[in-house]
Amino acid sequence: MTLIATRTAPSPALLPAAGPEPVIETIGLTKRFGPKLALNQLTLAVPRGGIHAVVGSNGAGKSTLFRLLLGVATPSLGQCRVLGVDSGRLDPATRGRIGLVTEEHTLPGWMTVARLAAMQRSLYPSWSEATFREVAGHFHLHSGQKVSQLSRGERAGFTVALALAQGPELLILDEPTLGLDVVAKQAVLESLLFAGRREDRTLLYCSHQMDEIERLADGLIVLERGELVSHSTPESFWGRIGCWVVAGLVPPEVVVEAIPGLLQRRVVDGREQLVVLDPDPDFGRCLERLGVPGATPLPIGFDRAVNAFLTRNHLSPDGAVAAPRSH
Amino acid sequence: MIQIVTGDSRPLFRQIVDGLTRKILSGELPPGSRLPSVRGLAMELTINPNTVARAYTELTSEGLIESRHGVGVFVCEPRQRLSGEERERRLEEALQRFLGAVAPLGFAPEEILDRLRHELSTYRSATKERP
Repeated sequence: MTLIATRTAPSPALLPAAGPEPVIETIGLTKRFGPKLALNQLTLAVPRGGIHAVVGSNGAGKSTLFRLLLGVATPSLGQCRVLGVDSGRLDPATRGRIGLVTEEHTLPGWMTVARLAAMQRSLYPSWSEATFREVAGHFHLHSGQKVSQLSRGERAGFTVALALAQGPELLILDEPTLGLDVVAKQAVLESLLFAGRREDRTLLYCSHQMDEIERLADGLIVLERGELVSHSTPESFWGRIGCWVVAGLVPPEVVVEAIPGLLQRRVVDGREQLVVLDPDPDFGRCLERLGVPGATPLPIGFDRAVNAFLTRNHLSPDGAVAAPRSH
Repeated sequence: MIQIVTGDSRPLFRQIVDGLTRKILSGELPPGSRLPSVRGLAMELTINPNTVARAYTELTSEGLIESRHGVGVFVCEPRQRLSGEERERRLEEALQRFLGAVAPLGFAPEEILDRLRHELSTYRSATKERP
């Protein structure tokens, strides 16, 4: 991880506009499971407001972070504060200001939509009936339906409707669109963007769907092997990743490990593409010196850039980059 | 109104700027046309309203649209907004960007020129009205 110099410096654009206190603040947060470090010295401050996407490959520490934030796991080391309170000592009132939506969308099956909504309404003083109706409307939910009769998409919608109507200041969403069809997925995104996103509400959203993140996120938090790699706007992380097209293939005598920041090699139409993190402004010449002549820059999309970063460890765990995949 | 795609090499706000610029310069959106509100366009495209706001800010600073407080967002009257020198500089910059993206694709120069001519012909007002 030494090649990333700016991993703990948040972009100025993300510094809190209102309220000086971050909604989430961790300092040196570490969680150890036996010999494995699930989170390693995570220092993160998430300002109030907006949608912050958390990305990382499986095992990067996303779920562990969420469990620590919710106080259902205890840190091995370090601090974790949520809404100004130590997450290990969340009182019921503060806990009520934090919402959670998981991919399972677990709700009691025997209750009707109306009954469950009424129960939640009585439990949450900040309940918004307008928000509930708006989101439930996206999913065409009927008040008399039993939860057990709802489709997976409708159940997801109901969960999101309840979570947003509770009026949380912090809403944590763990892959809310996993396994949903296009229509339900679209409705979840609309709900989060237009009923959910507010200046005084922070949405912490974890997903593997880069297209969703491109549409939704104000901020992007990148985790890798339990460490914070970057916290910035999605665009500034994207801007750190460049792609170069070689005239043909990288000559076999070239030591690819010497190419600084190399994330991914891929052959498209007989020409090799190199995706690189934090390339030198004069990267073309740098490649030339290493024996790769005639490379030209090629703009790539957000999904390709971020996925190249997230999957580099699958190519080789030691940071070395494996031989190119044909495409 | 316009189409955007995720996974494109251009950020969403840039796609909105490009898409609306094209519609305005081609005359498809004539001066005085009303554009959707920031929230309206964000809902239409299912994207973060901040992204639309950013695109509108850029189009406003380019003099293509204006926001009339409490009324809406409208397409401006065409006028000569940039100095000759600035236009020259921007043309050079855009050409270099274009060449950087197109050269590696290996098309014959005539093919590229034909396509470019065709695309430019859709910008009737843009090519006609400039001195």
